[in-house]
Formats: sequence, structure tokens, C-alpha cells
Amino acid sequence: MNETETPAGPGKANPLPPLPPLEATASPALIIETLLKRPAQLVLSIQEKDGLRISAILAIVAFLALAVYGFVIGTFSGGDQLLTATWKVSLGGFASAIICLPSLFIFASLSGATVTLRGIAGALAATLALAALLLIGFAPVAWIFSQSTESIVFIAILHLSFWFIGLGVGLRLLGLKLKLLGIANRFHMKVWTGIFVLVSLQMTTALRPVIGKSQDILPKEKKFFLIHWKENLTSQH
Amino acid sequence: MSAPQKLIVLCRGNTRSMAELVLKREPGLVILCAATIAIGCAIYGGAIGIWRGPQQALYTAIKFPLLIFLTCGANALLNGMLAQVFGSGLGFRQTSTAILMSFTVMAIILAGLTPVSAFILANSPPLESEQNKTGHAITLLGGVAFIAYAGVVGNVRLLAVLRQICPTAVARRVFWGWLAGNLFLGAQLSWIFRPFIGSPGLEIQFLRDDPLRGNFYEAVFHTLKHFINS
Repeated sequence: MNETETPAGPGKANPLPPLPPLEATASPALIIETLLKRPAQLVLSIQEKDGLRISAILAIVAFLALAVYGFVIGTFSGGDQLLTATWKVSLGGFASAIICLPSLFIFASLSGATVTLRGIAGALAATLALAALLLIGFAPVAWIFSQSTESIVFIAILHLSFWFIGLGVGLRLLGLKLKLLGIANRFHMKVWTGIFVLVSLQMTTALRPVIGKSQDILPKEKKFFLIHWKENLTSQH
Repeated sequence: MSAPQKLIVLCRGNTRSMAELVLKREPGLVILCAATIAIGCAIYGGAIGIWRGPQQALYTAIKFPLLIFLTCGANALLNGMLAQVFGSGLGFRQTSTAILMSFTVMAIILAGLTPVSAFILANSPPLESEQNKTGHAITLLGGVAFIAYAGVVGNVRLLAVLRQICPTAVARRVFWGWLAGNLFLGAQLSWIFRPFIGSPGLEIQFLRDDPLRGNFYEAVFHTLKHFINS
């Protein structure tokens, strides 16, 4: 928006001129701004041959943003958990993405898209970065509630809600990428979305405790996330 | 545009002019909105707190504008991001300005309703009377009704301004995103900042002892649970 802008009128859009892909040397700030304001331009930029740097910056942004949100999660328990939650959330988010990257590539191909692994990895990095940036937006709210409650169940539901909202917005970007690739059949991508959500939820149990405290940094017992949640709900009441 | 002219635009609810103010990043607009919110909400806060006593009136006059500013401040990043990812084209500063403008409209309405609140106060059973619980209830219900009305009008204006700036579907998405975030956090902050009126049986305090203990939603949940079980 510039100084000369005027409202377009009720219900009308300010027409935006078609934008070329970002330059390969674009600054991280410009990449983040494009991610938020003009995701289509960013998706085009990732597809370019020299889009690797942009994808790498997006991955770093996602990692750092998840780490910041992890720190906020850690404020519920405080102490060592501040650091533990920081690395658990950032690594957990990344691990989920890496675990699901091959299936995303295959499912996108099954849907009829001509994709490269580099291009789809970049789109996934952008998705994760957008979700993580939204989590940073939620961070002040999450911190206030972390200081106001002693209920692990309440704070867990809150963080999960924020994760679902962030992920929902992030996945829209992935949908945009597929739309630009002209994929009409989204069935496989819906299946993949379900898989990614399940993996990310299981990751919270595999790396437990993320919110509460424990003497062990990582769990010694394998557990399905639904059973872990049920146990927490039962112990709370 | 001078400060009084800007206030007139806000009072008249000329959404096109309000949208222009947001888009053109009018210098001094944020300060004007903040000052209006501080004065309007402080006057109204004082009017509802005075039922309990002058000290409570002072505390509420400080806390009410503070509640608005903290809600806007803590959600500024989130609201800015939502506006951008939903495609409104608004930046962080413009987002905060638009939201502050809606709260300014609310503050102006509340300031205008202050004499009515004072009249209600004058006709309510005072703290010293035997019916002081009725007086507390009248002050509470009157406050809730006026704040709800002013809030609804402010938000209706905000939606209209957004519709001037971006397509209707985008405007609605952005508006509901902002509203949900502000209500969610605002409810918790108002819980932390309690009391605003002050129960007859409790002492006057700026904040209750251990204000961060418990939260609004858990309290609602436990009340509902108690209600259902009884």
C-alpha cells in the first residue's frame, strides 16, 4: 500500500498487477512479506531454478519461528522446560515435515502434477513457515494463558487449536501451489493432509513432555497420541 | 485533516472517509485514537466504578483503557498477519489503525452514555443500603449492556470500513478473524483485571490477589459444570 491509495469501494478489490517471481537474492524480510501478502508470487519463485535459496530461507524462518513458539510453550512449566520445549517444537515440526515430504511428492505426482522434489520441498517449507509465523502471532495470547492456568489439558487444547489454525492457513498455500500446477483431483492431497496432521499430533506424544515436566527428556514408553491424551484427561479429573 | 475533523468522521461513521484515513496512514491518527480511547473509556470506567467508591472509580478509569490497549497490542501481530494472509492488502500499521478506530467509536459512544450511567447510578440502591446487591447487579448489567452495544456498533463500522478496502468475502474473513482473536484475549484480560465494579462484600483492590490464577474459560466451564450438576 502506498500513500496515494484510496478505497476501491464497497465489495470491490484493488486490482493488483501480475507480479514476477522474486529475485533469487531477495532479502529474508522481503521473502516473509511476500509469504504473508502475495503467496502466489512466492510459490512461483520457489518453482524457479534459482528458488533453492528462497526455500532454504523459508525453512530457516520456520525453524526459528517454531523455536520461539516452543519457548512460549515452555513458559507453562518454566525451568528446564523453556529450553526443552524450544528444541522439541522446532525439531518436531521439522521432523514431521521431513517424514511427510516423500509422500507429498508421490501424492502430488499421483494427482497428475509435474513436480520436482526441490519444488515440493520448497512449498512444504513455505507451508511450515507460514504456519509457524502465525504461531508467533498467537504467542502473546498463549503466554498470557500459560501464566493464568495450571491445567495441562486446557493449555494443551489451546496450543493444539493454535497449531490447527496455523496449519490450516499454511496448507492453503500448498493448495495454491497445486492450483497453479493445474491439479483438478485433490483427493490424494486431502489424504496427505490427514496424514501430516496425524504425524504432527503423534510427534507431540513421541517427544513428550512438551508442556509438562518430566525427569526424562524423552519418553521411554511408546504410546499412541490418543491414548496419551486420554490418560492426561483421566488424571486431570 | 485536523484532529476534530477526524473525530467527526469517526462519529458520523463515514466508512469511505474512515477507509481513506486507514489507507493514507494519516499522521497523528493513531495518537488521536489512543487519546480518545484513553479519555472515553476512563470516563465511562470511572462512572461504573464510582458505585463502589471513588478509589474503585479511579482504578476502573485506569484499567478499562488499559484493557483495550493490551488487547490491541497483544493481538497486533496476529491481526496483522491474518489481514495479510487473507489477502486484505493491509499492513501491520494499517491493521492496528483500523482496529483502534473501531475501539475509538466504542469509546466515543461510551463517553456519550456516561451521563446515562450516572443517572442509573443515582437511582440505584447505594453500597451502604441493605439492597446493595441489587445496586451492584444494576450497575453490572447496565455496564454490560452499554459496553456490548458500543462494541457492536464499533465492530459494525469496522466491517463496513473493511468492505471499502477489500472484497466482501475477504473483509468478512478478516473481520471475524480479528473479532475472534480480540474477544478470546479480551475476555481473559478482563478476568485478570477484575474487579471493574467491585462486589459489595469484597475490599477495593486494583487487582485481586493472585490475578493470574485461573482463567476466564475455566471459570465459565466450572460454573456450567456446577450448574448442570446441581
